[in-house]
Amino acid sequence: MKFQSQKIAYWFFASAMLLLVLQIVYGFIMGFARIGMDGLHEWIPFNTARAVHTNLLVVWLLLGFMGSAYFIIPEESDRELMWPKLAWVQLISFLVVGVVAVIGYHLNYWEGRKFLEIPRSLDYLVVVNVLAFIANIGMTIWNGKRYTTTSIVLFFGLFTAALLYLPGMIDFDNQTLDSFYRWWVVHLWVEGVWELIMGALLCYLLIKLTGVDREVVEKWLYVIVGFTFLSGILGTGHHYYYIGAPKYWLMIGGIFSALEPLAFLGMAIYALAMAKKGGRRHPNKTALNWTLGSAIVSFVGAGFLGFAHTLPQVNMYTHGTLVTAMHGHMAFWGAYAMINLAMIAYALPILTGRKLWDNAASAYGFWLSNIGMVGMTGALAVAGITQVNLERRMGLDFLAVQKEIEIHFVGMILAACLFFLGICFYLYNFWRFGLPTDEAASSDVRAAEELPTVS
Amino acid sequence: MLTKLQAKVFFLGGTAVFFGIFLVLSFDTHLKVPNQTNAANITPAVAAGKRIWEENNCMGCHTLFGEGAYYAPELTKTVETRGKDWLKIFIKDPAAMFPGQRKMVKYNFTDEQIDNVIAFLDWCGKVDLNGFPAKPPLRDKMIAAAPQMAVSSGPPPLKKPVPAVFTTATCIGCHQIQGQGGAAGALIGAPPLDDVFRRYDRAKLVAWIKDPPSIKKDTKMPKLYGLAVNDAQLNEIVDYLLSLNPETAATPSAAPTAAPAPAVQPK
Repeated sequence: MKFQSQKIAYWFFASAMLLLVLQIVYGFIMGFARIGMDGLHEWIPFNTARAVHTNLLVVWLLLGFMGSAYFIIPEESDRELMWPKLAWVQLISFLVVGVVAVIGYHLNYWEGRKFLEIPRSLDYLVVVNVLAFIANIGMTIWNGKRYTTTSIVLFFGLFTAALLYLPGMIDFDNQTLDSFYRWWVVHLWVEGVWELIMGALLCYLLIKLTGVDREVVEKWLYVIVGFTFLSGILGTGHHYYYIGAPKYWLMIGGIFSALEPLAFLGMAIYALAMAKKGGRRHPNKTALNWTLGSAIVSFVGAGFLGFAHTLPQVNMYTHGTLVTAMHGHMAFWGAYAMINLAMIAYALPILTGRKLWDNAASAYGFWLSNIGMVGMTGALAVAGITQVNLERRMGLDFLAVQKEIEIHFVGMILAACLFFLGICFYLYNFWRFGLPTDEAASSDVRAAEELPTVS
Repeated sequence: MLTKLQAKVFFLGGTAVFFGIFLVLSFDTHLKVPNQTNAANITPAVAAGKRIWEENNCMGCHTLFGEGAYYAPELTKTVETRGKDWLKIFIKDPAAMFPGQRKMVKYNFTDEQIDNVIAFLDWCGKVDLNGFPAKPPLRDKMIAAAPQMAVSSGPPPLKKPVPAVFTTATCIGCHQIQGQGGAAGALIGAPPLDDVFRRYDRAKLVAWIKDPPSIKKDTKMPKLYGLAVNDAQLNEIVDYLLSLNPETAATPSAAPTAAPAPAVQPK
């Protein structure tokens, strides 16, 4: 770590991990409710659990992105963060808003729009908070000693993510228009500008971990994010097939969604090619595992599984079924959770000055969580396909079908236990690193990084 | 080989072009949606219903236009399939309609709020969704391929139009009759009513409807008498069910010297 102000990243990461655990707990509540064990219904009905589960995901991923930005930007700009104290204020207020929102969901206080459940009054606080973050990062880059493609793409991603939050705040009495602009936020985030953030983090990690020349890595970053926008922007159409929007979205959405996997495939090939090309054997194998894992799993989860039900003819029957949940789990895990975990695994040794990068716990953490996630996705796939066939194609009653697929949620819960075990290993390692230290800030990070692997 | 500058131009240029196209299409959509969704029919009640829908995060369990969570049924066509009266009774106490099943929150809405929610769902059901939800393509094939389920003696029940009372009193939410309704019944074992005359006489039918557990202790049939069914409706229901019996139905219209009553006795 070169700069003192990078230490704030640790606290963003630690908060993110706390919320990740809470997210998993609420996931379990939903899983058990689906197999009939809904004893918490009075206090935490399914819609509460679901809103908490998805919103905590968004909040912890954003905390991870912000922490990553606070870690990367000073180093890329070669200067201290512009306003380190503002970063603290921003972290604490962001957490307060998040906690108030989560408590509110238990008291029927929300906006009830999928993924954007945060009530309107809190929306404004989120906007102010994110503006403070953008200003802090932006001014650091502006006053920095150097501009790198990585920091510019990262900033552009974060900035447009903040900008795109606004269309979700327009009020409509018409459900179709409401939904139409809601996807401007949700889709253009996760299949658009968040991919810029992911691409920039991936690029930064590849530069650091593989030792490939920055110019080469960054050149391909442009190509990858170019493909992302080329397919992803008009790919928004796949949300507009059946919500009351004109028919031309079926064709436009179908064609450009079919191209979306190419962007993810490009990202996977990019990461693997750079790792192969890189001569330097970085000692932090765990971070490299998570980095490459993210590129590969996001292709499978977001690219391939998304494509599996994005054609209008298929989507007619899978739209609004568990097939969506199947795709959602692996897509978010691969693309955004894993890149955050990669970033944390890379940053922790540097923040704390401890070289705990390659050990059994970190390997278990990586493999168990990934195998667990594959299992969960598999269980949801079987449940979803069965639901599509029985309910949508044969016309059986919803609840009758849910009874038939209950058993797959037993499988889902078992896989989720494995997943959670993996996350526990990861967190155990996180805890062992301890707190960021001033010595770590003053020591020469590159010397520490280039130590050869011993164990 | 590609230079970094070319890569940058590809990214910025591509993004600008495709975002431009997206904006144009969105503008066009914004203009066309009111027509496609019958926006003129968005009454204050519909708008109020939408707010109730959002304030209680109904999408946290249900889907609407296929969007939401997957814990509870898709509601786009629910007014069409269940009927407004059934929904009214259901929303008042969801657990009463599906005892022992997956739970829905009991919201204690006022009658006006319930009417607003139903008005909103009714409006949603009439939006042109480009064919969604599709009619289950395999349903007819399954029905054709299935062996005759109802094995009963005697001639088949008559085909007569189902009176409106079966919808207003919500019977067809669970029971199938004359090929209509019965969606929820498959799960909880509510039988089709076409040949119920073979099993029960008038007194038994009246008792069933008035107080279901008095006939079958563990039945899941809700007691709707006094709630959705008054005495006149009770009589209408029982009259209709008995009128499906081809044997008794033949009697009044037939000439006095017609064939004697068939020997087959209902079981």
